[in-house]
Amino acid sequence: MLEVRHLTKIYDDGTVALRDVNFIVPDGEFLVIIGLSGSGKSTLLRCINRLIDPTEGEIIWDGVDLAKLEGTELRMARRKIGMVFQHFNLVRRSSVITNVLAGRLGYTSSWQSLFGRFSDEDNAKAQHALERLGIEDQAHKRADELSGGQQQRVGVARALMQEPKMILADEPVASLDPVLAHSILQHLELLNQEDKITILCSLHYLDLVQRYATSVFGLRDGEIVYRGTREEIRGMNDEEFKEIYGQEAERVGGGLQGDLLTANGGGA
Amino acid sequence: MRLSHTPTSSEDLKPSLVPPFLAAILSLIIPGLGQILARTIRRGLLLLFSFATIIGLLAWRFTETARRDTGLINIVRKGLSLEPALVVLSILVIVFYIWNVVDAYAIANRSGSNPAGLLFLVIIIFFMLGWQIGQIDVVALITQADDAGPFLSSVLWPWEKSIEYPKDIVTTTAQIQIPCTENPPAPSGALEDAPYLLADPTCGTLAEFEGAPGSTVTLTGHNFIPNTIANIWWEDPIGNEFRQRQGGEYIKITPDERGAFQIDIELPYRLVPANIRDDTTIWEIQIRQVASIGDWQFSTELKLAIEKIIETIFIGMMATFFGILLALPVSFFAARNLMSASPITLGIYFVTRTILNIIRSIEPLIWAIIFVVIVGLGPFAGIMALTVHSIAALGKLYSESIESIDPGPIEAIQATGANWLQVVVYAVIPQIIPPFVSFTIYRWDINIRMSTIIGFVGGGGIGFLLSQWIRLLDYKAAGIAVWFIAITVAILDFVSAEVRQRFV
Repeated sequence: MLEVRHLTKIYDDGTVALRDVNFIVPDGEFLVIIGLSGSGKSTLLRCINRLIDPTEGEIIWDGVDLAKLEGTELRMARRKIGMVFQHFNLVRRSSVITNVLAGRLGYTSSWQSLFGRFSDEDNAKAQHALERLGIEDQAHKRADELSGGQQQRVGVARALMQEPKMILADEPVASLDPVLAHSILQHLELLNQEDKITILCSLHYLDLVQRYATSVFGLRDGEIVYRGTREEIRGMNDEEFKEIYGQEAERVGGGLQGDLLTANGGGA
Repeated sequence: MRLSHTPTSSEDLKPSLVPPFLAAILSLIIPGLGQILARTIRRGLLLLFSFATIIGLLAWRFTETARRDTGLINIVRKGLSLEPALVVLSILVIVFYIWNVVDAYAIANRSGSNPAGLLFLVIIIFFMLGWQIGQIDVVALITQADDAGPFLSSVLWPWEKSIEYPKDIVTTTAQIQIPCTENPPAPSGALEDAPYLLADPTCGTLAEFEGAPGSTVTLTGHNFIPNTIANIWWEDPIGNEFRQRQGGEYIKITPDERGAFQIDIELPYRLVPANIRDDTTIWEIQIRQVASIGDWQFSTELKLAIEKIIETIFIGMMATFFGILLALPVSFFAARNLMSASPITLGIYFVTRTILNIIRSIEPLIWAIIFVVIVGLGPFAGIMALTVHSIAALGKLYSESIESIDPGPIEAIQATGANWLQVVVYAVIPQIIPPFVSFTIYRWDINIRMSTIIGFVGGGGIGFLLSQWIRLLDYKAAGIAVWFIAITVAILDFVSAEVRQRFV
């Protein structure tokens, strides 16, 4: 269980990114965070695995306050938290398999990783992860030769290699077209349902939120302005969504989206 | 020069301080003054400054051209007659001056005047001044181009200088008995394939005193190298050698096309101690001729050029190597994204950047001169010069590529629980290797090119030979050096393109 208490982040330039954020995420949840750009979604996710140090507050995960960890302890905690990024953040010039194996770095000694040596077990895991995401035949290509959707699958495979108990996904589909967006989110959903990995995911589009979230909260200007369950969000219409979100919110692709939801989403 | 002037609204509203006619008069006295008083201050100042600059430069060119004349009128007349460019310039300046007066009137009258024409005129004047100061002489360039012909043909095809035939002095001797007795030595016999010398008679008397002739001997030679100068030497009984002189001149002989010659020589004066004056001694007369011996071989110049081109390549290589080693750590101090953590590190960043910029702005040739003073002539000075310049150039390029790395992968690798070293190895290095390799090859390229001329100032390598040979007017040898440089640079171009393709 993840419990965030009084989380506040003020950047050096004085920008308040998060203001006294409190929430609880039970294990196995697919939590979707909605909010405009600059509402603090990325900051919140990065505070959880401490890519950004919070100014104040507690992040209690399985009885440990992540906000207070340092050094080795922090790295031990981080390796149980996978992360998926909007821009994939792959090492573009390295091979797909190297990128995926990088997910095992937390479990590998510095010395071995210096020479790119991973155990046979890790290599087998990487192969399995690639198969699971359907990109096993791309393993030896350079990461930047892959299409956007394939790159994000590599990103998910890398997170999967950590054998995480939780995955933080920072707008994982914002750089992808709607078809690929569904594909990636279905993979995350599968991990959530089969592997019981808790997912914290920030999303932009109402239809994606309605389709995948098991619970939702909305951020605006660093504060939680909405909390909803799966049922509540499914019953929400565009007007209510816009109310949380501000006026700029919209559905992904009008009519196309509806078709995809039945054709693609229905099969998952 | 920016004369184009858009009058601001305030200038449009405010009337001129002086009437148009007065403005014109003022600009006639001091160019630009009318415009200034007509409240177009920028235009007036620009006119004033450009006019002053032009007049100053023009005066300098006139005095430079008519260096030996005094008096304004004489100088002007001489300048105009010697330099057609000065005539054109003077006319343009007068046009500019008149235009300035007209412009002052128009501006003060607020009737508007097109500044583009004035700007164009100023550009033309400066172009003409540049032509004159640069001593541009297109006629010479065209009419004297064929002067370079002999030089260029030597440089373009210097390869006959690449081989040489070893030469040695071939000495052929005949014996002379002094003084004559009943049994003078027999003349040496004729030889089939080697030069031989016959003396007739084979004895004689030395001259009594300096300058007086001794007895005459007729020398006949055969099988010598045709049409090649030979010298006559004497060797006295105790082994002293001296050259034959006659009438105060050294005697030289040139065998005919069959290799034969005949010459009468007078026996020289030598101081002989009194107690042995009457003894019979054998003196030796020698014909010394420089002759080729053996087969062709590679010339000294070619060997030197090969030696020095290898040195050159290694100068470039070592300089690149040291440059990389030292630029790597420096580049981290010069990368803003790594150094902006605190004011102290930011200070280090600025200091490093400034030092790098200063070093980089000094040409490697100047660094070479400095290092020649420190470590003496030779390749080490060249290596040091190129190293220093490489550190500065690579440091800047490396630091810029560090500054431009994508923070995303670093974040992603950190998120997997990787430690600092793993982040560097998996997220930073893969990103900086391609630009580093690219910049390093680029620098290697530059260093090899530079090392070919660093020898001009004593920094070792083939440039030293090239400058020597050019100064000795040995254009064939210089041509060999030029060819080697061209071949090396061409190969290097190819290699660096290949390497770059592999890595980047």
